[in-house]
Amino acid sequence: MSAYIRIKDLHKSFHNKGEVNHVLSGIDLEINKGEIYGVVGFSGAGKSTLVRCINRLEEPDSGKVWIGDTEITALNKKQLTLRRQKIGMIFQQFNLFDSMTVSQNIAYSLKLVGTSKKQITAKVDKLLELVGLSDKKNAYPGSLSGGQKQRVGIARALANDPDVLLSDEATSALDPVSTLSILDLLEHINDELGVTIIMITHELEAAKRICKKIAVLENGVITEKGNTRDIFLDPKSNTGKIFLEVYKEFSQENTFTGGGGI
Amino acid sequence: MSLSKYPFWEVVKHAFSSEVWDTLWPAVWDTLYMVALSALITLVLGVLLGIGLSIISKEGVRPIPVLNETAGTIVNCLRSLPQMIMIIITLPLARMLLGQSYGVNACIIALAASCIPMYARLVQGAFVEIPKGKIEAAKAMGSSSATIVFRVMLPEAIPSIIRGFTVALIGIISMTALAGSFGAGGIGDIAVRFGFNRFYHDMLIASVLVLIIMVEIAQVFGDLISGLILRKRHLV
Repeated sequence: MSAYIRIKDLHKSFHNKGEVNHVLSGIDLEINKGEIYGVVGFSGAGKSTLVRCINRLEEPDSGKVWIGDTEITALNKKQLTLRRQKIGMIFQQFNLFDSMTVSQNIAYSLKLVGTSKKQITAKVDKLLELVGLSDKKNAYPGSLSGGQKQRVGIARALANDPDVLLSDEATSALDPVSTLSILDLLEHINDELGVTIIMITHELEAAKRICKKIAVLENGVITEKGNTRDIFLDPKSNTGKIFLEVYKEFSQENTFTGGGGI
Repeated sequence: MSLSKYPFWEVVKHAFSSEVWDTLWPAVWDTLYMVALSALITLVLGVLLGIGLSIISKEGVRPIPVLNETAGTIVNCLRSLPQMIMIIITLPLARMLLGQSYGVNACIIALAASCIPMYARLVQGAFVEIPKGKIEAAKAMGSSSATIVFRVMLPEAIPSIIRGFTVALIGIISMTALAGSFGAGGIGDIAVRFGFNRFYHDMLIASVLVLIIMVEIAQVFGDLISGLILRKRHLV
């Protein structure tokens, strides 16, 4: 079967005071529907830029991105705005709206598409139950812990039943216990809703836990990709080897089971 | 009562006499009227201009470089005029619009021209302070630019916008006093005519007292409201 998300020869560079910084240099990636796909790499490898090119928060210089039959890179501004309503995104810093309660945050994107009040209430309740925060309905994000904030972030991202969920370092600001529970939640919603998840992370442990496949990104180039297990057993790329090295060292020294190891 | 003829405490005591306040009260009301009207105009137009400036700025949701440069230059020009100069150059404008260049209403034009650009910059600052990630989150969810501005940025920035308004309001109060010496009337007028020209220092003390109380009330209320919102959002 052909892949659901296809990225073809994607290039992106940033210009700063006459210096050109090539962040992505020819990325090719294929992700099947319903997969949890991990993109791992060190800081500055271009992971975030890659995921942000998928919903064009960052405009790629060249290359193409498809989701299903839609070529994202060919959409005009209006079409893109509409398509984005069906692409969920969660962030390292959660980016919840402090001026709104938890339910208002989740209802935000529902209101964008003109959902009726009654449907919004029902949907918000359902999502709150899914992420286990029914009791925080009327709380403001400012009163929540990091893990709870990310749960709200996930509920908000899922409100419009997206087919794709982009996760940009979603667990990197969390403690090991919260990380673990957020990863389990992501796996659960992938299972339950069949949403395709692209997970950017520098925590190998996190990727290993829920991603069937991963791609290793190094200086804007994918140095290896494939089944997580294979890469774990026998990493070919530099980053992959270092990652595994560090990972092994950490799991020898640390007894905690959290995902914040690396 | 002049300080050169009477002991200090006598003058202070007389500052609370009905003789002084009979003259001062009408002026207090004039000042309150000028402040209230200018504040309202500044609030409405300042917020609108501030929103406009942040939308078209380089980092805004709809950057328009040419308009941004032009608007920015005009705002900066208006802001660089000392308030006294602003009052003098708006006098002909007041005569044109209102038929007279003195009185309470005439000075409101100067007050607005001076305070709107100032407040607009404070509003713009409040928008810039919003973490970029929140605006990106709104974009990623498929929000239009207008939705981002009015449903995300404005509510997020409200506490700062209120705090900025407190600053603007105090600026308006002080400028009203200044305008008093250019025929606007109000407390500033009393302070200049009696306190300065005739050495009625009891009048001067009473005028200063009123101004201090006004500024204090503005500050306390501004802090209270923005504080309440921040506490409701659990941000303090």
